[in-house]
Amino acid sequence: MNAVSCHCITCGDDGVPMRVLRIDDTRGLALCESGDGQHESVEIALVAPVVPGDTLLVHAGTALAHLDGAVA
Amino acid sequence: MKFVDEFRDAALGRVLAGEILGAVEPGRHLKIMEVCGGHTHAIYKYGIDDLLPTNVELVHGPGCPVCVIPMGRVDDGIAIAREPGVILTCFGDMMRVPGSNGTLLEAKAQGADVRMVYSPLDALRIAKAEPDREVVFFAIGFETTAPSTALTLKRAKAEGVANFSCFCNHVTIVPPLRALLDSPDLRLDGFIGPGHVSTVVGARPLEFIPADYGKPVVVSGFEPVDILQSVLMILRQLDEGRCEVENQYKRVVPYEGNLRALEVMSEVFALRPHFEWRGLGFISHSGLRLSDAYADLDAELRFAVPGVRVADPKACQCGEVLKGVIKPYECKVFGSACTPERPIGTCMVSSEGACAAYYNYGRFAREREVV
Repeated sequence: MNAVSCHCITCGDDGVPMRVLRIDDTRGLALCESGDGQHESVEIALVAPVVPGDTLLVHAGTALAHLDGAVA
Repeated sequence: MKFVDEFRDAALGRVLAGEILGAVEPGRHLKIMEVCGGHTHAIYKYGIDDLLPTNVELVHGPGCPVCVIPMGRVDDGIAIAREPGVILTCFGDMMRVPGSNGTLLEAKAQGADVRMVYSPLDALRIAKAEPDREVVFFAIGFETTAPSTALTLKRAKAEGVANFSCFCNHVTIVPPLRALLDSPDLRLDGFIGPGHVSTVVGARPLEFIPADYGKPVVVSGFEPVDILQSVLMILRQLDEGRCEVENQYKRVVPYEGNLRALEVMSEVFALRPHFEWRGLGFISHSGLRLSDAYADLDAELRFAVPGVRVADPKACQCGEVLKGVIKPYECKVFGSACTPERPIGTCMVSSEGACAAYYNYGRFAREREVV
């Protein structure tokens, strides 16, 4: 990554919210889209079940949590 | 984007800054440590530091996984990369971390096959596409990236991908926090707790901070409104004489964590007796190795790894920055010999490193403006 980009992919703690577009049940992966339009295959084993339209917190290609709309 | 934009609301941020100003006790200097590199990055990206009263000081913690990698482990990674037939895969920032004799990027320039990946799953894909090569994933990170590595190793084992292995450098957040709290160098009044680490491990493992050390903790999100609200929650705990773990980031962090992630981590990883942290030295039970059930995928057992401890460069003060003892600009080489383009220390490599955050967002000023 370059020195001034917003996200550190190695992160300690910089997850990316992504929206689920499509699910591949046989491989346990979901095609997701980030806020800036990037598409990525995401591992969903830790947050299943997932349906298209869900928003997930993704870290290094793995969804760690549902962003379910409960706000602080 | 939903869940992001509303937490970047400037008007709400100013309201919170005003409440913070009203909540802080005049004449009392407070030091609050943000544990995560992600928080450090957000604080300087959004100028949150400048919204706080001058007697509320944010101290940057050891929560950037790139920053805490000791030079010897980089050397080990380079040694693996130079093995014949090996493709070493790693996250982008790791390629620029200096070892005692150069970086992975320089090793690549000299002929080693080092490739950047965005996730361990990408590394596994390379292994499946190139079955005649040995593909090693240089795993780093706290409990946020460890589940991703664990799931990938489970996949590799299930699919019988024999040419895939993992050079494991995963670390856990609680032992270094305890080490910092035991350090006589540092006086802290509260902690902004790690948001996404807590998504995995939950907020409960942080309860030792108020229980054993009497310091408040607020687990926080990463947007500007999140961080300002967390600072306010800490100030209110101090003002009201409370001391507990609060969760500001309830929209993401369940208090008990992600039990499935913890389960897969405990299956794939085991604690090392000791692990070296840059600047912090050896900390007991702070690093992860592959468990015995996954030993056949452990790159440290598959390849000859030097395992030599290397002292940090004398000019580099990353250790003091990681412990929050000095600010990045107080380091002798900050912005001169050490820059993001040619880093000497790890804190200048990653965008989550405190030094890089100060450098990239122009925080050369020695004094903050009075609000």
